[in-house]
Amino acid sequence: MDTVFYNRFERNGAQDGVKAHATHYCAGCGHGLAHKYMAEVIDELGIQDRTVAISPVGCSVFLYYYLDVGNSQAAHGRAPAVGIGHKLANPDSIVISYQGDGDLASIGLAEIISAAQMGLPFTVIFVNNAIYGMTGGQMAPTTLMHQKTATTPDGRNRLMGEPLKMAELIAGLDGPVYVERVALFNNKQRMRARKAIHKAIQMQVEGRGFSFVEVLSECPTHLKMTPEEAEKWVEEQMVPVYPLGVKKDTAPEPWFEPGEPDYDVERMLRTLGTTDVPARRFNKGFPRHLDPSDVGIKLAGAGGDGAQTIAKLLCNAAIDEGFDGTYIPSYGPESRGGTSYADVHVADGEVLSPAVPDPHVLVAFNAPSLDKFGPTVRPGGIVLYDATVIHSVPKLADGVRAYGIPFTRLAAELGVFRVKNIVALGALQAATELFPVTTMRSALHRAIHAVAEVAHINDRAFDAGAESFKAVLQQELVSEVSSN
Amino acid sequence: MSETVTRAERPKPFLFPQFCKACGRCVEACSHGAITMGTEIDPRTGLTPVVIDLEKCNGCGLCFEACPEPFGLMPKPDKDFDPGVVDPETLFGAKASTAQMPVGTPDVELPLPHTEPMVLKGTHASAVGALLAGCRHFFGYPITPSTEGAELLAKLLPGLGGTFVQAVSEVAAVNMMYGAGGAGRRTMTFTSSPGFSLMLEGISYMIGAEVPAVFVNIMRGGPGLGNIAPEQADIKLVCRGLGHGNTHAIVLAPASPQEMLDLTMLAFDLAFRYRNPVVIVGDGYLGQITGKVQLPDAMVKPGIPEWAVFGDANHRGNLINSIRLSEAELEMHNVFLNEKYDRMREAEQRSDAFLCDDAEWIVIAANTPARMAKGAVEDLRRQGIKAGLFRPVTLWPFPIDALASFVPHAKGFVVVEAGSGQLEDEVRLAMSHAGLALPHMAHVRRSGGVLPSKKEIIDRILELEEVTHGHGVL
Repeated sequence: MDTVFYNRFERNGAQDGVKAHATHYCAGCGHGLAHKYMAEVIDELGIQDRTVAISPVGCSVFLYYYLDVGNSQAAHGRAPAVGIGHKLANPDSIVISYQGDGDLASIGLAEIISAAQMGLPFTVIFVNNAIYGMTGGQMAPTTLMHQKTATTPDGRNRLMGEPLKMAELIAGLDGPVYVERVALFNNKQRMRARKAIHKAIQMQVEGRGFSFVEVLSECPTHLKMTPEEAEKWVEEQMVPVYPLGVKKDTAPEPWFEPGEPDYDVERMLRTLGTTDVPARRFNKGFPRHLDPSDVGIKLAGAGGDGAQTIAKLLCNAAIDEGFDGTYIPSYGPESRGGTSYADVHVADGEVLSPAVPDPHVLVAFNAPSLDKFGPTVRPGGIVLYDATVIHSVPKLADGVRAYGIPFTRLAAELGVFRVKNIVALGALQAATELFPVTTMRSALHRAIHAVAEVAHINDRAFDAGAESFKAVLQQELVSEVSSN
Repeated sequence: MSETVTRAERPKPFLFPQFCKACGRCVEACSHGAITMGTEIDPRTGLTPVVIDLEKCNGCGLCFEACPEPFGLMPKPDKDFDPGVVDPETLFGAKASTAQMPVGTPDVELPLPHTEPMVLKGTHASAVGALLAGCRHFFGYPITPSTEGAELLAKLLPGLGGTFVQAVSEVAAVNMMYGAGGAGRRTMTFTSSPGFSLMLEGISYMIGAEVPAVFVNIMRGGPGLGNIAPEQADIKLVCRGLGHGNTHAIVLAPASPQEMLDLTMLAFDLAFRYRNPVVIVGDGYLGQITGKVQLPDAMVKPGIPEWAVFGDANHRGNLINSIRLSEAELEMHNVFLNEKYDRMREAEQRSDAFLCDDAEWIVIAANTPARMAKGAVEDLRRQGIKAGLFRPVTLWPFPIDALASFVPHAKGFVVVEAGSGQLEDEVRLAMSHAGLALPHMAHVRRSGGVLPSKKEIIDRILELEEVTHGHGVL
């Protein structure tokens, strides 16, 4: 005997005897038939070695006792997600997710809908018997109206919702290529069921897409009927609510062509954008005129001011120069349009806390930022603010020097508003001499991957910021001299 | 060929009565009335199997397709076959399955040339670590402040033959990981606290079914929706509450972008070594901080382990499964898992001690707060106070062996955390399990997204010093 069933069901805990050769299903249950048709189809299509069957939670949790294929047992309702994992792990595998009505149509609704819409070639066999089997006859999402169950003792009513028609729901999505509802209650229906399962799995083998077969099935035990009565009940009561037939049948060209995982070292390094060329260093030592070992800079403005870009650039420049550097953004919802600030550290040794609660240098792009962070600048620190939009300076700590540079106006004069951050960077460089100018320029050129004319504007913006600072400083000196 | 000849050759059914459940589907299927419900009770099953009258049978075969039992009604192998005298055990094959013994393919280390340091954000560094560890399968759901890691992988994986899936929820994502991990692939996710909560069901299944995977949880403020600022709010969850049942996983706590990369690579190694998920916890700051990162000297080309359900001939005999219905079997499985947890406790404790050898005040901190704590320790040392920093790199297993060696000269522990005492609970529990008496316990705790500052730590220890000197005792 050679079938896709195990020759003996050892996982059922028996080596021989009845238990090793009989399923655990009740007399008249439809699961055995669905299993059998799957086994026959897997055999016919010659895919036993490639098949991975996903066992659900419910009476058919023990599918893996029976089918001699790769088996994976999923959490309640999650079989389609587990199936997607298997299919993507090995696109050559044939993945069949087998689920009951509680598993698929209740707890696992999100998983089945999203899997169906994703449309990967894999197959779902959905056994709908209108009741919970394993937990003992409670209402299923597919229980009929007025049907009595352990949790609908007076019959299902409107408050418990209407029966869920999964085949129609799935067929209404764009992802699936083949959806059919079949039944098991007579020879004709059984032949159709077997054929539908064949087609559904074949669609996957051909790589065409997601296929779904809903099987109306009998649960004599919980319907409290004989097997014969249960067949009749499915035919007479279920079929009018769940009409049989093909719900969707398209046969698109095979489309699923996943790549093979690549482990080429060269490609990896290219992908990561690494370089083996050391950055040129221009510094003649740590900027000790600002701090003996760790300079903190805060850049603050509104979203879009470009504070984050120059923060990252300063961090890059620090690391290029062989110092330690960190940059941390404010990353809240505010970074999507409201206030946006960034903290930068440049340290001779190791940066410890990445936050800058008391900066040496503050760059403020708007008045709220200056009001908020100006007073936190440490004594002797430097504040640079956009004089285009900020007209008053809050009280600052002793010895803090504040310089108003028209970042926005200078950028506007260059015709590109968004380079105001580069104007600010030029001013910051001139005011702090954090790094040599060449360091800043080279970091700027590498950071802003830009076409030549933009790079040119960046250079001009940087210069404009630096010159403006020098002019402001000059003016200050002149006024100091004259007031003296 | 005439139809009658064909019909005569069609096999007729036979049945081992002990495999019949007397459902009667075949009775209704047979249009010739050749099968009837039996009346005689089979002593092996207590059921009344159907009776076949082969004289009436025309070999149409419909009864085979009507019988739900795999070993129920089936075609006679030959005309004279008598099921009454044949032992079914010999008929159905000597072995349960013809599947071959699975063989694993080993991982290969590929040397990397020296490259200049990169400047990477924490989540990006972790994503790069995953790629270098051979992870090509990512499943996740966007959640701040972890999303940038996923975004980078969405960009890079397609060029490396990898797979990036944005799932419908964290619940779906973790189960996709269960599938791909069960197939033997290196798989990971980025998430943050509320998303991690949703993944716990799947993590419990993974531990039960021994499926490896790597979870990067960039923790944020809670409970509930909380906020997206940095908090070490899930230490209890990752150390004590990985879903239902008897669960544990190695928990790694990086403190820099460099460690985000290094520990992500290590996490994949550990996940497959133990066939168990590994969790990396960072606070929101660690996800967002940009800094210097040096690539390692090798990357990994992973193989497919022998236990995987890969979906090929080699692995056909395998099963990924966490259900063990019999009490005895499940207890055995838990004993097995406990032994595995013991091996992790034995071999995987990791920590970093800074100036602890003679420290009187041992600051215990992990993730970003450890950076503030290090600054505090340096300052205190300059003031002549013997402070040290003990940084657990594995939060589970807690590195108690290393900490124990510093206890004899310690006046006290100062547990510094961005949270409300979850790390301190781990310290106390580890000390208690190790049978060690606690020194004086103090702490600096901030929460809600506020990080403990260097100054708060210094002030706390100065306070403790004063009390000690003033009264001689605490």
